[in-house]
Amino acid sequence: MDNRPSRHRLVRIRSSRCEPSGQRRLPKREIGGARVRIGLLTEGGYPYVSGDARLWCDRLVRGLGQHEFDIYALSRSERQEDEGWVPLPRQVGRVRTAPLWAAEEDGVVYGRRARRRFDECYGELAGVLSRGSAADAYGVSEETSAAEADRFSSALYGLAELARDEGGLVGALRSERAVRALERACRAPGALQTAREARVPDLLAVAAHLERALRPLSLDWYEDGGLDEVDLCHATSGGPAALPGLLAHHFSGVPLLLTEYGVRLRSHYLASTDAPPAVRSLLAAFHGRLATEIYTRAAVITPGNAHARRWQERCGADRAKLRTVYPGMDASHFAEVGESTECADPDTLVWVGRVEPAKDLVSLLHAFAEVRKEEPKTRLRIVGTPVGAEGEAYLGHCRSLAAQLFPDEAEGLHSVGDNPVCFEEIGGPELPTLADAYAAGAVTVLSSVVEGFPISLVEAMFCGRATVSTDVGAVVEVIGGTGLVVPPRNPRALAEACVAMLRDPERRERLGAAARARALELFTVEQNTTAFHGIYLEIVSHTPVRRVVLDDTGEPLPFAAPAEAHVPGRWTDANARVVARGGPGWAAGAPGTPGAPGAPGTPVRATASESAVEGAR
Amino acid sequence: MSGLGELDRPGTPESPGAWDERSEEWIAEGAEAREPGRVAEDASAGARGGREGREKGEASARARAGDDARGGAAAPARRQPSAPRRTAADPVKALMHRHRELCERAVDPLEIAAGLEAHGVTDRTAARFRHRDVFSLAEEMFARAARDEEAVPTPAAAPALQARTGWALLTLLPGALGTATAAGLRLTHGQARAFVAVAGVLAVALALRAALSRGPLSASDRTASGPAPHAPSTRIWTYWLLAYAALGDGLLRAAVAGGPDALPTGAADGPWPLATAPVLALAWACAPAAWCAHLFAVRARRRLAASRGLEEFADSVRPLLLGTFALHLCALAALLALCATVLGENAAYAQTVTLGALLLLARMLTTHGFTHAPAIVLTAAATAEATALVTVFAGRLPGCGFLATPVETLVGAWGPGSVPALVCGAAALTLLVHAARTLTRASAHATADRPC
Repeated sequence: MDNRPSRHRLVRIRSSRCEPSGQRRLPKREIGGARVRIGLLTEGGYPYVSGDARLWCDRLVRGLGQHEFDIYALSRSERQEDEGWVPLPRQVGRVRTAPLWAAEEDGVVYGRRARRRFDECYGELAGVLSRGSAADAYGVSEETSAAEADRFSSALYGLAELARDEGGLVGALRSERAVRALERACRAPGALQTAREARVPDLLAVAAHLERALRPLSLDWYEDGGLDEVDLCHATSGGPAALPGLLAHHFSGVPLLLTEYGVRLRSHYLASTDAPPAVRSLLAAFHGRLATEIYTRAAVITPGNAHARRWQERCGADRAKLRTVYPGMDASHFAEVGESTECADPDTLVWVGRVEPAKDLVSLLHAFAEVRKEEPKTRLRIVGTPVGAEGEAYLGHCRSLAAQLFPDEAEGLHSVGDNPVCFEEIGGPELPTLADAYAAGAVTVLSSVVEGFPISLVEAMFCGRATVSTDVGAVVEVIGGTGLVVPPRNPRALAEACVAMLRDPERRERLGAAARARALELFTVEQNTTAFHGIYLEIVSHTPVRRVVLDDTGEPLPFAAPAEAHVPGRWTDANARVVARGGPGWAAGAPGTPGAPGAPGTPVRATASESAVEGAR
Repeated sequence: MSGLGELDRPGTPESPGAWDERSEEWIAEGAEAREPGRVAEDASAGARGGREGREKGEASARARAGDDARGGAAAPARRQPSAPRRTAADPVKALMHRHRELCERAVDPLEIAAGLEAHGVTDRTAARFRHRDVFSLAEEMFARAARDEEAVPTPAAAPALQARTGWALLTLLPGALGTATAAGLRLTHGQARAFVAVAGVLAVALALRAALSRGPLSASDRTASGPAPHAPSTRIWTYWLLAYAALGDGLLRAAVAGGPDALPTGAADGPWPLATAPVLALAWACAPAAWCAHLFAVRARRRLAASRGLEEFADSVRPLLLGTFALHLCALAALLALCATVLGENAAYAQTVTLGALLLLARMLTTHGFTHAPAIVLTAAATAEATALVTVFAGRLPGCGFLATPVETLVGAWGPGSVPALVCGAAALTLLVHAARTLTRASAHATADRPC
């Protein structure tokens, strides 16, 4: 049954015993302090000063000083490029940037063969898109949808290979050929009704959008010491940032780690609302398929919360790949407040956040009115800055509502009165820091109607404050059992919960301590960094990159990567059925029977080999 | 669609509690019918407090179930009307009504899911609609949404009248400065005339540059990423062609006759005469050229918005292109006649009109992003004219007389203007054929890309 030459078997066994093959490649790197070279892929983020999530990336890079980071950044606008970079730590080896907002045509005019290749690939792409996204494939069978996904990926990689071999993809994607291919696909039988109605301006808009979305295909990052030399790609967001990682995986087999704190596909849906239906359906199909492809190819996906996780699962991410890594926050600012035992004011409720309509301060004020009926001494401090013109207007509205609901009141006849609700901002004389804002009250309230990851709630937890929040977004996930949760848009329930908290100092203290413990466990920077450190090592050990190692003279070094380094699969699991990435489909064979012995992708039955070795001795 | 039948099943308690305003209203409306229930709910909520408030929905539902049992026993007549109301209330339908714009607009279920989540709908809310999560709720809403298939979105309104006056005035500038120069050349003599000529040429060149930098003749909207790769050569050959229009005919005539014996003096009647009228007409022709290009661009964009297919668009734009082209030729011819009359020169229609046509087509192609063909054709035309001159001079070398024969024959038959007329005519025809293929493409009229 297992008739492999014993020589190979011996080698394999030795490898499995000594070290993860991922670190075998470079002998100077030691196992204990394994250094991983990470290609950090960002889009409109780190290292730009105005980038999204730059703080998180910065902490990650600084926190993992034992690894090497190569940063591949796509900038989002000219202004962002002009504003410059944040200071980079020593472990950042190189930074390569490319603008997504401008694409220069390299003036390459395709020959006949290249034109045919482009037509084939783009036609395939357009054909898949015109059939809609994977999400609304109701009656479509598994095979059909798998075939469609396969068509999409082959078209995408076909275009990428064309860009690598010939260049000139930007011009081709803008050209009339692309528009014509789109038109053909939209008029073809089987196209969606909405796609069928596409008019010429719609086709042009789709072609322009696709050109912009596919710009990473034309980058020169994938060879000659770029992404082909890193051990793993870490895409800090989905969509355009993950596309280079996808291509590096395709060209050089570099594993891809995808971190999504906000689901890119979802933000695409929310952003594109004014385009005609034909454009939106084609683009939704493109982004949906791209997200599915990225989720399929990624080695590990780390959603930032359960909400992102659900979207990823919905878009085809394998559950086994998903590891929720909560965003980390710096707990040191809140340590003093969190550890001190005395409370500033047992009768004060605090709300902290950015003032915008989604926070539903009106509901909070109504709830506070109910609270005042029960507990007349209570005060409410609303701490926050308005966001934009809408936020300003909303804040004004809330101020006037507070003035109407609650008249000013004073201690006695001879003292100056004050309103029980006060609106404040951080940085004033009373509240110099954020921690002081949380310290000012006994209970922190969150009244949002819509919420992503509630940062103010985490901050309140760090401060050891009892919280009452509405059940929106990731609130329940964050708070766990350490605070009260009420339905949104329900002032009465909110008021009752607040009163319950105000009346029970012991419970407040207990919940606050539990909240602080939970936050320190889950939401610290260290937790985040450690999680990624572990994931890096896991990926590198499970999916090593195979490449030819060159010696000092530039010649390929024979046996630099031992043969067993090419064996994927779990060594301990007798029934593991794994196919090499990019390996032939037939190598999987039927479950239960080992594959062909010589095939690189066949699973290794560790137990069988082990006994064979012992027999050989 | 799976939930539909279940949802219409009579007697199922649908809305467990006052989670949102709809059920709030429902409770408020039926308040007097269920007063004890409210008390019970309040009591239970008050007793259980906040965190347990999540379970409050179920709690109040239980409370109300108990109330229903009690109320049913106490006042069956009053309970009766509420039962059909409950069954008639299809909660998903109400939700769809609330988010009907979202449902009508959505192109796939995920879009509805994203929109619902943006409005605060969570999986726990979806559970009240008997769905496992927001996605399956969104799927039902998507399947049930009555999308108006015929609804054709109104084509985006044509861009508002931009600062047209700016470029319209700028396109008049070369003509005005050219006229001033021509007048100066007429009024001055000797060295002053040379100064006037140099200053006038410089001024016209700058004005031309300004006129081409804005408005419909500018290439800025398409090639925003940088200057077009062929720009310098195109510019140089354009100036060469213009210079030939002014001095070439006179030089060729003189060369065939054995001259030239002196440098051009700027006068129209010297040994190397200067033809002011064609250049002046071409300078003035900037304005009609800009208007023609504007007309073409606007009309083409309008047809683009109205057309359903690329072929249809090409067919509708081709006559437009030819019409615009003809319009410009007519305007140029009229301007030339006017200039020639005013300046008292004879109007060299053939070479000037073909040159104007060539320059307009080259500029329009450049404006729409096709820089390659104009650069090649302009280079070829300028080289051909230069070659014609060179062969005449080369024919004077001993033993090379045959070189001058074709040009001399041509000049003898149709005059010196026939050389540029032939060259520019051929070039313009080439570009016209090219433009009829390229400018009728939809991709040539794609507006500046907007993010979506």
